[in-house]
Amino acid sequence: MINPTIVDLSRLQFALTALYHFQFVPLTLGLSFLLAAMETVYVITGKKIYKDMTLFWGKLFGINFAIGVATGLTMEFEFGTNWSMYSHFVGDVFGTPLAIEGLMAFFMESTFVGLMFFGWDRLSKPAHLAVTYIVALGSNLSALWILIANGFMQDPAGAKFDPTTMRMQFRSFGALVFSPDAQAKFVHTSIAGYVAGAMFVMGISAYYLLRKQHREFALRSFRIAALFGLISTLAVVTLGDALGRMDYLVQPTKLAAMEGLWHSAKGPAAPWKLIAIPNDAKQKDAFSIGIPYVLTPLVAHGWNVTIPGVYALERDARARTISGIKAIIALKTYGTTHDPAALAAFDRHEADMGYGFLAQRYAPHQDLSAITPKEMPGVLAKTARETIPNVFVEFWSFRIMVGLGLAFIVVFAFGAYYSLRNRLDQHPLVLKAAMLAIPLPILACEFGWVTAENGRQPWTVYGWLPTFQSASSHGLGYMIFSLVGFMLLYSLFIAAELYLMFKFARLGPGVHAIPVPPASVAARPLYGQPGYADKSWK
Amino acid sequence: MKNLVKIAALAAVLVLALALAVVAGDYGPWYFAWMVGTVMIVLIAVSGAVLFETQAIAASTHPQQ
Repeated sequence: MINPTIVDLSRLQFALTALYHFQFVPLTLGLSFLLAAMETVYVITGKKIYKDMTLFWGKLFGINFAIGVATGLTMEFEFGTNWSMYSHFVGDVFGTPLAIEGLMAFFMESTFVGLMFFGWDRLSKPAHLAVTYIVALGSNLSALWILIANGFMQDPAGAKFDPTTMRMQFRSFGALVFSPDAQAKFVHTSIAGYVAGAMFVMGISAYYLLRKQHREFALRSFRIAALFGLISTLAVVTLGDALGRMDYLVQPTKLAAMEGLWHSAKGPAAPWKLIAIPNDAKQKDAFSIGIPYVLTPLVAHGWNVTIPGVYALERDARARTISGIKAIIALKTYGTTHDPAALAAFDRHEADMGYGFLAQRYAPHQDLSAITPKEMPGVLAKTARETIPNVFVEFWSFRIMVGLGLAFIVVFAFGAYYSLRNRLDQHPLVLKAAMLAIPLPILACEFGWVTAENGRQPWTVYGWLPTFQSASSHGLGYMIFSLVGFMLLYSLFIAAELYLMFKFARLGPGVHAIPVPPASVAARPLYGQPGYADKSWK
Repeated sequence: MKNLVKIAALAAVLVLALALAVVAGDYGPWYFAWMVGTVMIVLIAVSGAVLFETQAIAASTHPQQ
C-alpha cells in the first residue's frame, strides 16, 4: 500500500491546484458569453460604445483566460504523475473526455480567441460576432468534457470492470456523456460561471458609477450584467437543486454529510438543518437548528420518503464490505488460477468490489484472506466509518455555497430593478453591494467544488476505487518539493491576475476605446446627454 | 421569397430543437436546458441593452418625463 502521507500530500496538491485553477474558470465561462451579448448589441444597434465595451471587458477576459489555461494544464498531467494507480484503473474511460477536451474544445477555444482579439479589422461584424460566440461555446465545451470526466468519478456510468485486465473499460460512450450526474454538474457549474462573470462586470461598473467615471459605459455594462446575472442566478439555484437530487439518488453518503443527517430522516416532517455544528468524532451535532417539513420535499421531491442517515449508511456499508471482501478474494484467486468458479464468485459480488478494496487498508498486511474472525468486526467497523465523508466540511461548504447563491439573487434583483428604472444613482447601497460582491461568486464556486469533491471521499471513483489506492508511489521529498513549487508558482499567477485586473479596471475603458472624433460623438444622442462629461472615455 | 427562406430556416431550427429535446429527454434534459437557457440568458441581456437605448432616446426626446 502507498504511504498514507504520500496519499494526503497528493490529495493536497491536487486540491490546491484545482482550487487555484477554479478561481479563473468561472470568470472565463461567464465573461465569454457576456462578451457575446455585448457584441450582439453592437451588431444590432451599430453603436460604437458596445464595441468598446466588448474590447474593454474582452481585455480583462483575455488576462483571465491566459492565466486560467496556464493553471489548468498541470492538472491533467497530475493524473499521470500523482495518481498513476487511478489512471491505470480508469484511464481507458476517464482519459477519453480529457483527450476530447484537449483536442476539440481547447484548440477550438484557443484558435478562436486569437481571431477574437486580432480579427476586428479583418472580419466583418457578423463574422467577428460568430467568432466571439465560438469562443464562448469553446470555453464552455472545455468545462463540459472536464465535468463529464468528473461525473464519471462521481457516478461511474458507461464503464465495466474487466477482471482479466484489472481495469475499468468502456461499456457505452453515450452513457458516459449523458450520465445524469455529468449533465447536472456541467449545467450547474457552467451557469455558476455566468453568475461570476455577471457579478464581475456589474461590480466594476458599480465602481465606476460610484466614482462618477465612464458613466455611459458603466450604465450599459451594469444593465447587461444585472439581467444576465439575475437569470443565471435563478437558473443556478434551480440546477443546484437538480444536482442535490442526483446526490440523493447516486451518492447517499455525500447527501447525508451535506445535510448533516446522522439518523435517517423520515418524511414528511423531517427538518432541514439551517445551521449545525456536526461533530465527526462523536457522530452527532453539538448544536443544530432545523426547519421542519423542508428536507424531504427539498431532497427527494416527495413527502413520505426516508432519507438514509450516516448510521444506516454505515450499516449498509458493513454488509457491502463483507460482500466486497469475497469479491477481492475471488478476484485474486481468478488472477492466479483462471478458475471459472472463482470468476463466477467474483461476478456475484462484483458490485461491492470497491468496499473490498477499502477494507484492505485495515487487513493484516493488506491481505483480506488473512483477516481472522476476531479481527473482522473491527475491519468492518473501520471500513464502514471511512465510507462517510467529513460531515462538518461537507455541511458548511454546502451551506456557504447555497447562502451565497441566495444572496446573489438579492444583489442582482435590486441591481436589475434600479437599472431598468434608471435609478441606480439614487441607490449607492446597491452599487456598493455589487462592488463588494465581485469575488463572492468565485468563492461560492470554490465551496461548491469542495462540496462535490469532499463528498466523494473516500473514493476517487465512487463505490469502485478508494482514494488511498489511487496515488502514485512517490517519495516524501518529491511530494513536498512539488507541492511547495506549485504553491509558489500558482500564488504568483494569482498575484499577476489581481495586479493586471486591478490595473486595467482602474484605467477604465477609455484606454481601450478607439478614438472617435468629437463631431461624430456628438452626433450620437446618448453621448450628448448631461452627465456624459467623461474625458477619459474619449 | 426572402421571407419564405427565413420561415424555412426558423422551421428547420424548430425541428432541430425538437429533435434535440427528444434525444436529450431520453437521457436527461440538462444539456438541452443549458442550450436553451444560455440563449435565453444572452437574449434577455441583449434586450436589456436595447431597452436602455430606447429609454435613453425617449429621455432625450422628452426630457421632462
